[in-house]
Amino acid sequence: MPRIRVEVDGSSYEDDVEPRLLLVHYLRDRLGKVGTPVGCDTTNCGACTVLMDGLSVKSCSVLAVQADGREVTTVEGLRAGHPMQRAFHEEHALQCGYCTPGMIMASIDLLRENADPSEDEIRDGLEGNLCRCTGYQNIVRAVRRAATEMRRPASEEVTS
Amino acid sequence: MIPASFDYVRPESVDEALEALTDAGEDAKIIAGGQSLMPLLRMRLAMPDTLIDLDRLDSLRDVRDDGDAIVIGALATHHRVLRDPLVRAHAPLLVRATAKVADPAVRHRGTFGGALAHADPASDLPAVAVALDAELLARSARGERRIPAADFFVDWMTSALEPDELLTGIRVPKPGEGWGVHYEKFHRTAQAWAIVGVACAVRRDDGRVGDARVALTNMGPVPVRCRAVEEALAGGAAIRDAAELAAEGTEPPSDLDGSAEYRTHLAAVLTARALAAAAAV
Amino acid sequence: MTDRLEGWEKVTGAARYAYEYPLENVAYLAAVQATVARGEILAVDAEAALGMPGVLAVLSGGNAPRLAPVDDGELAVLQSRRVAYRGQFVAAVIAETPETAAEAARHVRVEYAPEAADVLLRADHEGLYAPEKVNGGFPADTESGDPDAAFAASAVRVDATYTTPAEHNNPMEPHTTVALWEDDGTLVLYDSNQGPSAVQSTLAEVFGLEPAQVRVISEHVGGGFGSKGTPRPNVVLAAMAARVTGRPVKFAVPRRQMWATTGYRTPTIQRVRLGAGLDGRLDAVIHEVVAQTSAVREFAEQAAVPARMMYRAANRRTRHRIVRLDVPSPSWMRAPGETPGMFALESAMDELAVLTGVDPVELRVRNDAPEDPESGLPFSSRNLVACLREGAARFGWDARDPRPGVRREGRTLLGTGVAAATYPASTRPGEAVARAEPDGTFTVRVAAADIGTGARTALAVIAADALKTDLGKVRMEIGDSRLPRAVVAGGSAGTSSWGTAVVRACEALLVRLNGEIPPEGVEARASTADEVRSRQKYARHAFGAHFAEVAVDLDTGEVRVPRMLGVFAAGRIINPKAARSQFVGGMTMGIGMALLEESIMDEAFGDHVNRDLAQYHVPTCADIRKIDAVWVPEADPHLNPMGAKGIGEIGIVGAAAAIANAVHHATGARFRDLPITPARVLAEL
Repeated sequence: MPRIRVEVDGSSYEDDVEPRLLLVHYLRDRLGKVGTPVGCDTTNCGACTVLMDGLSVKSCSVLAVQADGREVTTVEGLRAGHPMQRAFHEEHALQCGYCTPGMIMASIDLLRENADPSEDEIRDGLEGNLCRCTGYQNIVRAVRRAATEMRRPASEEVTS
Repeated sequence: MIPASFDYVRPESVDEALEALTDAGEDAKIIAGGQSLMPLLRMRLAMPDTLIDLDRLDSLRDVRDDGDAIVIGALATHHRVLRDPLVRAHAPLLVRATAKVADPAVRHRGTFGGALAHADPASDLPAVAVALDAELLARSARGERRIPAADFFVDWMTSALEPDELLTGIRVPKPGEGWGVHYEKFHRTAQAWAIVGVACAVRRDDGRVGDARVALTNMGPVPVRCRAVEEALAGGAAIRDAAELAAEGTEPPSDLDGSAEYRTHLAAVLTARALAAAAAV
Repeated sequence: MTDRLEGWEKVTGAARYAYEYPLENVAYLAAVQATVARGEILAVDAEAALGMPGVLAVLSGGNAPRLAPVDDGELAVLQSRRVAYRGQFVAAVIAETPETAAEAARHVRVEYAPEAADVLLRADHEGLYAPEKVNGGFPADTESGDPDAAFAASAVRVDATYTTPAEHNNPMEPHTTVALWEDDGTLVLYDSNQGPSAVQSTLAEVFGLEPAQVRVISEHVGGGFGSKGTPRPNVVLAAMAARVTGRPVKFAVPRRQMWATTGYRTPTIQRVRLGAGLDGRLDAVIHEVVAQTSAVREFAEQAAVPARMMYRAANRRTRHRIVRLDVPSPSWMRAPGETPGMFALESAMDELAVLTGVDPVELRVRNDAPEDPESGLPFSSRNLVACLREGAARFGWDARDPRPGVRREGRTLLGTGVAAATYPASTRPGEAVARAEPDGTFTVRVAAADIGTGARTALAVIAADALKTDLGKVRMEIGDSRLPRAVVAGGSAGTSSWGTAVVRACEALLVRLNGEIPPEGVEARASTADEVRSRQKYARHAFGAHFAEVAVDLDTGEVRVPRMLGVFAAGRIINPKAARSQFVGGMTMGIGMALLEESIMDEAFGDHVNRDLAQYHVPTCADIRKIDAVWVPEADPHLNPMGAKGIGEIGIVGAAAAIANAVHHATGARFRDLPITPARVLAEL
């Protein structure tokens, strides 16, 4: 059984894993990072999206062994009160919440690429994440709001 | 849904990978980014005995200038392809089409070489390789060979790679000046597979399209080069008339998303759109 | 505008869904599905599976615990050799890891004696019959006046048949259960469902237990849309497996297995006849529905029921016929009945508008019913006209040129359409407890379920109002069958039913409070059974109007919806933030219904062929553009103490018709079969 070393949400883990173990199951069943859910089997829903070495990936479509030597950030590893989390909460960009962790991680990835996306760019950028509850309107609003906040200099954030 | 169990090999070099491939025999499967393979493994539509993971072969991730062509490492991710200055300068059609592949998370993992080796006719990039007259670089213990894209796609999900061969890179000829490009993709939702896609590059001569390269996604078991369209354009036909010939010689599938007849119609419509968009550049 | 109480837990990944409760010594279940659509199981060979390391047990008809029979034959899991549909659970493997369970499940060999299966719904099927009742407890058939004669004598007649396909709910969280049996014989279920009390009583019945011996915990539920409204076979299977192995058993139904085992919306074939005068006033309304059900469970989609109350007409008939096919059991999907039924009725109204030349908004206004046409009861409130007028003003309807097929921009045809919406405003009996704590806060308890609707937050707002206190002082406890008994989150009756009980408990508590609160707190319980039963008789319904704009690609036939507006009259809106999202979410599912969603039954294969989210298309963020929902003020004193109507379902009702009507306006072609796919549109252009 291969041994892997992964940094997840700031902690290092070393584990023997079956090669066929999916990263999402490693995160959930082995590390207890159950904040990252599983929604489909076909890479469509995006609920399991995490960042690997800073880029979004669908953790159901990555083997745990492929994460060996890499750094994984789940929704649980975001710094407390990340602007994207605040924006999703305050804009009511969620209902049942099952797509939310993946949607947030995909949105953070989107802003890494484009700090000031238009509404259409947000819609297109989140094409890999399905939400069945909200109709997406508030999700788009939340990403716009987080983008505005994240572009604001840190000093302003402190004083405002 | 969980893959069947398999042995896992992660070679550290191309030579090691070739050795692993020879050792594992016919029931081995190569995994690069895994974005096409993982769903198949999970649904057990693929059940290899051995999975050979190319993840550590960083030498295959680069893009280099090779004089009259650029050579894109087989393991260059879609994400990398989209940003690479050489690709952007010399293969803008590939950039256009890659931007339409799946979604950002998939593009972070999925690789150009993987998408070609998978040889899925519904995938966007095989048609691009065919349109661009790319050559695929295959290595084995026996040496390296160049396979023209037109010969690489043999049948549905079947490439010309021998079991002991590894796709190491894709050689894309530099087109020269004056080309406009477009990839037109038609699908039911933003994340769905192409019902039909059209990859095209055109060069304008005296205000009209002269040279053109056109290839179709999902119009048969392999990507289809539209020679009839290209010849019509070279012979002075208008875009609209030339595009009517797009489905010539194709064997479009009928599936849940579209009948063969509908695809035949779409091929002409989308080819006209793609040519017009490319010619406007 | 209240933020969702559990919102922060959800954005940080801290919210626990059923699968995620940390338990020791857990085992995992993988189910084996029937590979024939009809027949008899001859033998189950589990030897190979049992021989695999880590496999704890293989359950099948031969060794599964015997269960008590219940009404829903879907819950008689592994109780019979009969296979009722392809995909039915016929065996299960329980193992130390999910990987082992999945692997071993593939090695369970089931031998069948297959029989010819009948899986396709047809309007002339010889097996069609009239069910005793249709879903919701309504009669299958109603008739008043002489509809045939009135229709025949009408100056303007619409006679058209509409079809809707099988559609799957597809909540993002798959149906999931963690089952364990405690030493005292209590069955504990961490379960993804729409009503812990209902799961408790049904599972108690199935396992021959007292309800108190079953505990169901469902704190967070990742959507349901009806599919989790009744316990599905997965719950029973997990509970059986836990009993046999003596260990907690986890079972998350894989997405592809959900297609057969967790319910779907039946396909429908609906003939609508409208007879009207030249001025568009209806004289005859006839709505006849054909739908399917399975061999093990009768489910009769009440698609013609809205035609009983929607418009005034002296002569009317509604009729439901269903046929038992060898197919998975259809069940509730968001606004069962109204959703397919109003697609047909509101499309027919648009056809009538075209035939009479009466504006579609005006046509509906003209036919508005002053009282319930069927019962003669007064409406508790009916603001359909206000919704239509408000929507027309906001959408810019008055400038609309009614001629079809004349708005062209390049290779795109543009059109707009309208359709009405309605959904019953029900209230059901239930209980709640309110407690004053010594620290000045309140705890309110009810076994409600928040499946994403915002119920937890709405109930806290209701309680704070009733207690005349701040929202921050109210702690809401829901999602546990040990809490006071509550109806399911279904039929848009949740907030109304639970809220009534909460208000009464809070009122009772206020009466008891006088000064200092003792250390043990003060508690009051309310049951609303008498109150709900003795309510004055009214026809209680919410109404709405959808306005849609479409762009139709002349060359590909593709339909896009750049803009959509819904206007609703649903009593008092308790939490506007959550309500708007609910409406918009329903409308978005309506766009999916109109253009994308369809589970395709393959006659030879005997099952739906597109059983995953790669092949069953639902709208992504990139496919949806501007959708807005607003509401008109509505004060209705006859509903419940909150003056609120349910809002979970009305958003989807009529949405598909508005889009289909807009496509007609754009193209001049009428699409009576959903979904309106590019190929179908192209064929008519």
